[in-house]
Amino acid sequence: MAQLPRTRLLVITGKGGVGKSTVAAAVAEALARTGKRVLLCEVNSGGRATALLGFPAAGPELRRLEGELWSVDVRPAEAMREYVLKRIRVERVYRALFENPLVRAFLRFIPSLAETVMLGKVLWHVRDTEAGRPRWDVVVTDAPATGHALTFLGVPQVLLKTLPPGTMAEEATWMRDLLVDQDVTKAVVVALPEELPILESLELGAGLRALHLDVSAVVLNQATEPRFLPEDLTALAPFPRLESLAQAHADTARRTEEAVHRLGALGAPVVKLPRLYQGTMDRASVEALGQRLLNGFAGWT
Amino acid sequence: MTPLVEALRTRGVVVCVGPGGVGKTTLAAALALQGAALGRKSLVCTIDPARRLASALGLSELGNVARPIPASELRAAGIHLKAPVEAMMLDMKQSWDELIARSASPEQRERILANRFYQSLSSALAGSQEYIALEKLWELHSAGAQDLLVLDTPPTAQALDFLDAPARVMDFFGSDTAKWLLTPALRGTKVGLRLFGLGGNLISRALSRVVGGQTLSDLATFLLAMSGMNEGFRERAQAVRALLASEETVVVLVTGPAAERREEAVRFHQSLREQGLHIAAVVVNQVHADVDVEDVSAAGRLPEPLRGKLERTLSEAHALAVADAENLQRLRAAVAPTPLLSVPRFPGDVHDLSALWRAGAYLVPDTSPGEDRPPAARAEGA
Repeated sequence: MAQLPRTRLLVITGKGGVGKSTVAAAVAEALARTGKRVLLCEVNSGGRATALLGFPAAGPELRRLEGELWSVDVRPAEAMREYVLKRIRVERVYRALFENPLVRAFLRFIPSLAETVMLGKVLWHVRDTEAGRPRWDVVVTDAPATGHALTFLGVPQVLLKTLPPGTMAEEATWMRDLLVDQDVTKAVVVALPEELPILESLELGAGLRALHLDVSAVVLNQATEPRFLPEDLTALAPFPRLESLAQAHADTARRTEEAVHRLGALGAPVVKLPRLYQGTMDRASVEALGQRLLNGFAGWT
Repeated sequence: MTPLVEALRTRGVVVCVGPGGVGKTTLAAALALQGAALGRKSLVCTIDPARRLASALGLSELGNVARPIPASELRAAGIHLKAPVEAMMLDMKQSWDELIARSASPEQRERILANRFYQSLSSALAGSQEYIALEKLWELHSAGAQDLLVLDTPPTAQALDFLDAPARVMDFFGSDTAKWLLTPALRGTKVGLRLFGLGGNLISRALSRVVGGQTLSDLATFLLAMSGMNEGFRERAQAVRALLASEETVVVLVTGPAAERREEAVRFHQSLREQGLHIAAVVVNQVHADVDVEDVSAAGRLPEPLRGKLERTLSEAHALAVADAENLQRLRAAVAPTPLLSVPRFPGDVHDLSALWRAGAYLVPDTSPGEDRPPAARAEGA
């Protein structure tokens, strides 16, 4: 479990509201506990995933949370600044040009520029080195939800198809190569045992495959294990309300089973996370989820 | 009468806003059904409905055309309405094309439609999806073919993304930015963008290095093509904004019961109010119902292992209900005096007409005689 890090980038995605941030936070925390240098990288999320670990929400600057666990929230304006400064190197020119509100409005209009600079920053962290070794063992990205995730991750390939050769095309080439390298990048799809999230996960898997990004694991959040046997339900027949309660539980457990089966079509192991019966996540429950996830990802984290 | 019922009876537009994944589209459709039940010809305009919801509404494809929800489907679901109800799925690209077709000269139109920048407009310009949804709303409202329009909106984390859309689009096309950038081009100078003239070669080289020279010149061509449309855009955007703020329109904020959603909903509500919009209700969808004490004692009298299994199941359900109730209470206090309505979580998925009808009954608690509605419907804070 959790040895030999060849995986350098974990991309966590899925339908909105299925628990992507929770999964990203839990995996990042669990990996850091195994002694890795981990960057929890959020994408313009307001720093939500970091907050789930009990720290103040992540901001646009790298911040050490504890031990070897760091986080950052990649935001368009700051990512743009870094991107531009890497190219023109003159802060004064940057300020004169790119902090002019009119120019900003203009830049906002360039297709995919915001996505390019944000994805570029995420991937730049993956390539970053310090004293001759990668600065981060693993970058865990809390990626946007389905539709936006495909746009986001597909940006380099779209740019390569549409752009004339030049600066942005060169950027796009290294970004694409890093994303499609199966040894380096692993995509994780988070789902719930409900109809729409399952359908959307299957569509997302197909979309990722079209980008040559295979799904390495599926996380089924809020899974319910079977509790009531058929004979239990029979025995409850004289108590219709209790019977329907037990039936509802059995139906929920069956939906979990069906979900595991249907998500199997994505061709990756399905890791189940148990449903938690509490109002808010505390640190202990995030840690327990992280441990389960690492066990489920055994072999490549 | 709650403000929401009053709106369904007398206003022309209900806009449903909120984050993704909380059942906003479902509730928008449920509200249109309720509007029709109150005798008003209603239309629900959705952005991106789930396939099963789309088919329940009789929508098999996009196309910007309102289609009646089949009467046979309504009958089969046991729903009897006093007025027809229609549904429509918004096609972003087609809506933009129609807008250009209306606002541009034929020659201008060709150039715009063929431009690469135009083709990625809906993703490139922040707020363009929201803008075109509102634009469509204005058009439908002006056409006046329905009494009540219910608009589902793209999921936005911040209310401002949605409300600012007309202003942002207007600013870009109709105001200083475009004019400033385009002035030399409009005067017929060779170089399309003032940027090239400003500060000399250093700046233009810097910009080219960042986005590429070809990209800059494509963009200049596009802006030039769009520039003649500024006035049309400005007028439309102003009309859209006026409709949103008018007495004709109410907003319904839809959210979920989870604690993580609460702050987001409060912020959302705050900005809606600051914008002077009329908020008819905050709707919390998919709320867990509490267990019945009788069930708890009945379970306690059963033999093991049944007793243990049921007690565990009941205590889990109770824990979820307690957490939701606490969140609801805090949310209600934070959004007062806006009424807060809660819609329970239904077992399974809510994607057929009868489930939409059931959900709607929690939004419109007035029981009309002869109609089959659950008695448990409750309105709070009204």
